[in-house]
Amino acid sequence: MNDAHSEQDWRAWFAEHGARLRLIARQWTRSDADADDVLQEAFVRFWKHQRHLPGNPNALVVTSIRRAALDLHRRTDRRALREQVVSVDAAAVADFEPEADPRLQALASSLPSLSAEQREVVVLKVWGDLTFEQIGAQLEISPNTAASRWRYAMEALRRLVTARTYE
Amino acid sequence: MNNEDQDIESALRSLRPRPPGPAVVSAIGRALDAPAAPPSARGVILRWSAGLSAAAAGLLGFLFFTRAPVTAAPEYQLVRAEQPPAAVDVFAPVRLADGSFARPVRVRWNNETQWEDRRTNTRLIQYSPSEQFGLIPLETY
Repeated sequence: MNDAHSEQDWRAWFAEHGARLRLIARQWTRSDADADDVLQEAFVRFWKHQRHLPGNPNALVVTSIRRAALDLHRRTDRRALREQVVSVDAAAVADFEPEADPRLQALASSLPSLSAEQREVVVLKVWGDLTFEQIGAQLEISPNTAASRWRYAMEALRRLVTARTYE
Repeated sequence: MNNEDQDIESALRSLRPRPPGPAVVSAIGRALDAPAAPPSARGVILRWSAGLSAAAAGLLGFLFFTRAPVTAAPEYQLVRAEQPPAAVDVFAPVRLADGSFARPVRVRWNNETQWEDRRTNTRLIQYSPSEQFGLIPLETY
């Protein structure tokens, strides 16, 4: 099989993208430890079986993360992914490095207030670098639904940030 | 998408997600450094099956194409046929169910034929013993 990325230094690639990939994994897991496990399993699985494929590996890695998260949920016999409890603010803020800018800090602490459906669209678009079409394929929804969730999320974030900034 | 949405999106992009823990990084590093994993048990079975099938096919092909040529059928020709004099045994008369009398007789003889294949200088001798019983009616006065 031809390796389309034979020159790629995957260790460096992971060092560059690991943080945002972990944030994506965190959306579909219940704890930091689960997110780390899922990320590790997903990336190694991608590296073993899909790194040779042509094109941008980003979407493949995101897909691998989602599959690994679903596998984890099945293994642990937990409730469906859609029913997972929204993380508390403190945990979500810990998903980001602390920011000196109060507006950015307010934004980071506002993300958990979004519904899980809106938040995963935001995370996949901003940190997954996916288009609405790709997000739709990933979440098995239409691109229009993904775009709609994005719009509602932006509106909610704007409201929340304004409120938190002036608290 | 309006300007306010773009501002929010830009602000989101400036947030820095926390990197994965060092344990994850080192585990991935080990996985990337590890040599190729040995084939799975299923893979081993498949490879052995394929290999054995190929070997069996090769052996059959070898036997089919390289077996000794069929020798020509033997060409035996009859060179001698003998029927020595028959041996006749005559037994004591017996009385039959209808009250008449008969003498049992047994005749034995051998047929002998010889066949020869001059090409291979071989001979085939065939003996076929035969035996027959009979009753010779006797008239009584």
